[in-house]
Amino acid sequence: MLKFILKKLLMMIPMLLVISIIVFFGLQATGIDPINFMVSPEVLSANADNVEALRESLGLNDPLIVQYFRWLGNLLHGDFGYAFDGTSIASTLAVRMPYTFELAGYSLILSAVIGIGIGIISAIRQNGIIDYVGRVLAVLGQAVPQFLVGIILIQIFSIKLGWFPAANRVSPGATNQFLDAFQHLFLPVTTLTIGMVAVLMRYARNTMLDVLNSDYIKTARSKGIPEWKVYLKHGFRNAMKPVLVILMFRIPTLIGGSVVVESVFSYPGIGMTMTNAIVANDYNVVMVTTLIIAATMLICSFMVDVLNAIMDPRVRLGE
Amino acid sequence: MSNTTTTSIKAQNKSASSSLLKKNIRKFLNNKLAVFGLIVVVFMTLACIAGAIFQVDYATPNLTSMKAAPDSAHWFGTDTIGRDLYARVLFGGCYSILIGVFCAVLSSVIGAVLGAIAGYFGGKVDAVIVRISEVFQAFPQLVLVMMLVAILNKRGLGNLLFIFVVTGWMTTFRMVRNEFMSLKGETYVKVCEAFGMKRSNIMFNQILPNVMSPIIVSTTTNVAFFILQEASLSFIGLGVADSTPTWGNILNAAKSVSVVTNQWWIWVFPGLAISLFVLAINFLGDGLRDVLDPKQQ
Amino acid sequence: MDTKEIILDVKNLNTTFVSDRKEVRIVKNVSFQVKRGTALAVVGESGCGKSVTMNSIMRFLGKNAKIEADSIQYNALRDGKVTEYHLEQIKNPNGPEMRALRGPDMSMVFQDPMSSLNPVYKVGDQVAEGLIQHTGMKKKEAREKVLEMFRKLGIPDPEERIDCYPHQFSGGMKQRVVIAIAMICNPELIICDEPTTALDVTIQAQIMELLKDLQVKEGKSIVLITHNMGLVAEMADEVCVMYMGRVVEFGSLEDVFDRTSHPYTKALLRSVPVLGLADGQKLETIPGSTPNPANLKPGCEFADRCPECTAACREKDIPTFEISPGHRVRCLKYKNFPEVE
Repeated sequence: MLKFILKKLLMMIPMLLVISIIVFFGLQATGIDPINFMVSPEVLSANADNVEALRESLGLNDPLIVQYFRWLGNLLHGDFGYAFDGTSIASTLAVRMPYTFELAGYSLILSAVIGIGIGIISAIRQNGIIDYVGRVLAVLGQAVPQFLVGIILIQIFSIKLGWFPAANRVSPGATNQFLDAFQHLFLPVTTLTIGMVAVLMRYARNTMLDVLNSDYIKTARSKGIPEWKVYLKHGFRNAMKPVLVILMFRIPTLIGGSVVVESVFSYPGIGMTMTNAIVANDYNVVMVTTLIIAATMLICSFMVDVLNAIMDPRVRLGE
Repeated sequence: MSNTTTTSIKAQNKSASSSLLKKNIRKFLNNKLAVFGLIVVVFMTLACIAGAIFQVDYATPNLTSMKAAPDSAHWFGTDTIGRDLYARVLFGGCYSILIGVFCAVLSSVIGAVLGAIAGYFGGKVDAVIVRISEVFQAFPQLVLVMMLVAILNKRGLGNLLFIFVVTGWMTTFRMVRNEFMSLKGETYVKVCEAFGMKRSNIMFNQILPNVMSPIIVSTTTNVAFFILQEASLSFIGLGVADSTPTWGNILNAAKSVSVVTNQWWIWVFPGLAISLFVLAINFLGDGLRDVLDPKQQ
Repeated sequence: MDTKEIILDVKNLNTTFVSDRKEVRIVKNVSFQVKRGTALAVVGESGCGKSVTMNSIMRFLGKNAKIEADSIQYNALRDGKVTEYHLEQIKNPNGPEMRALRGPDMSMVFQDPMSSLNPVYKVGDQVAEGLIQHTGMKKKEAREKVLEMFRKLGIPDPEERIDCYPHQFSGGMKQRVVIAIAMICNPELIICDEPTTALDVTIQAQIMELLKDLQVKEGKSIVLITHNMGLVAEMADEVCVMYMGRVVEFGSLEDVFDRTSHPYTKALLRSVPVLGLADGQKLETIPGSTPNPANLKPGCEFADRCPECTAACREKDIPTFEISPGHRVRCLKYKNFPEVE
């Protein structure tokens, strides 16, 4: 087991290196010159020599490969560099990353509980009321674009009813931090959850139906154990594995979705940071944010691998 | 003697396959949601194409009637700078559907070819392609798209199509690869190999038809996926430029709270159009899946 | 014959599947008896409804199956006293009445041991589950019982194997575990649904020997579903031949093998390969293929493939004739014999 974890961990390193290379050289290929953002054009034309000195001091004249390793070295030391407006990327992210993790984390937990729960019940009571309602909602949840769901929620709950704020993560001067967080998170988390639940519900339902058709379910019934044991002990336990895998595959969509949702709710997370950076051509920020998101993804898939191994004796005892 | 039996077997096969087709069509027609989906998809596509053929005016701003509510002159009202929304939704539909269909088909083709190669040959070829797909999958697709938008540094329809295809082939790839891995162990493949058939022939003429059903189904649902993805990208302001209308960038206007509150028609009509189309495509895809691929629902 | 002698008495069992809004009757008017302490073999080609018949009795079919019968009577013999159960009257297929019988009274060994065991639990726990359910035994006691059962069924190193997972077992060993699951509550009636089809030949022989031992030494009643005529000859006391959902011939092993009466049974027996087939002698096959159960013509289902078919065969349903005590045949050739239910 330990060997398995170590192996998986070691495999992440080359993956991250490759991704950092792609991100770095890809964005260098855009040909955006950071100098243009630091110095205004008039100054640029007037003081060509000074600008050249600035380039030299920033290391922009070094070969790309040298620049790459310097960048990578800095990253490893926790120095994420500076945005074009001069703010430290690290300090911006220190505030914004937790916000995104909050948003995505709550949605993940909520949608997993709701989606898997309803999916399993729909499978057990196939063609029942819950199954029917669930299927209709799933279809609708998948058809309406996520940002539109957000807009509709804002329209109803913030503008018409005034229950929740339509933007931001913290209100200035809020006294009850917990309540404040709840109010700001409620709508974005709901928006993200709706799309996720739709997919998970469908998948959990179909997986559970498959599992309930397997021979070992018949074996379980042949022992004369009660139906709930057949469903939970034999059915659910086996359905969990593929559902967990799909949950892992959904994490990218969740983070991608949080980029959109953050934009709808002006929620200051890492997704909005990245969006704004792309619009502003601030490639220092784009590089760091993409890399962080990719690293998060790898860690998530690593955790699911481990979880998978714990749940499945074939993987746990294999090799 | 042998001649008559072969023809009769051939005839039998023919009648069997035509009755299977009939049965499938009947099964599809019995699925009311799928038929509804098909009708809506066809109708909306035709309407959008008709709009494009008759060159409805979607681009000229009419400054005297900005933000006008729907009336007989402007069925869907006008947008923030006075362009007719009905025309924009029709034209936007053309582009959105084009984006969806083009990217879904092309990414399926790429995914299927790579999947066939990786799954059939296995070994090093497989390892390399799988690694590449893993690198791609390490990013959330939207983030990958955004990164490519940043790299290409230009917002145009062509770039968008390119980006979607490059980032969209992995799911089909995985599926086809897995199918090929299990199918290549089947006896009929071994028989083909024993006959000395060309590998490309075995891969594409013998094995691929067996995987066609799930590919068709996933291509259908991918159309919806790409339309939604374009809409999201346009909404956050990274899609195609405003001069090329799509359902997504018409909805971009809904970023402003005052539009959301006061001019409901600006976001409701394109929103309805996109939701209805995606819904219809999903129904269609589900219906196809039931008919073609009863195993995985 | 009284209830002490007969353990399972099925009369006029019909099973219908609803698919695509059409109803297809897969099992038609099936009647048979299993005598206590004997082995009944149910034979027939794939798709003839033999598995469906047994699954109908155990109520393992999905919701799209409709099961009707005049009577499915199971007679349990406990401490010399007979208790009658009328399974056809039990409404809920997985309700408490049915569950109480599954395990301690009747149990089933399934065809494919590879997929019959839950991959995520230790085999020992899977075997013990039924025991704990029905006897309320503590885990530790149950473990002892399971070990005992493993030893009896010839699973090597039971102390070690009991904590293994199914994927660590070979096919034959898995089937022994499946048999252990079926046997652990000491049932009287064991239904084996092609228990050796998925196994290779040497393992087949071992498993069959094991089952025969259980029947002879412990007085179990066994229903063996198979299409292997060799196994039938070795194992069975009585044979039930099915074709297209009907019992076409029923009788003792000698009746069916030595005084073969139905043309289908004759054809079936001729198509069995035997050692020492003369040079150049071809193995016979049954001409044609089984008709589609969804659109059957009236009359005998075997008429199109039957060498002795007459016009009368295609007119209406064929009744069953008893040509000697306990030997029943569904064929018009024997219409001079008394007709039976």
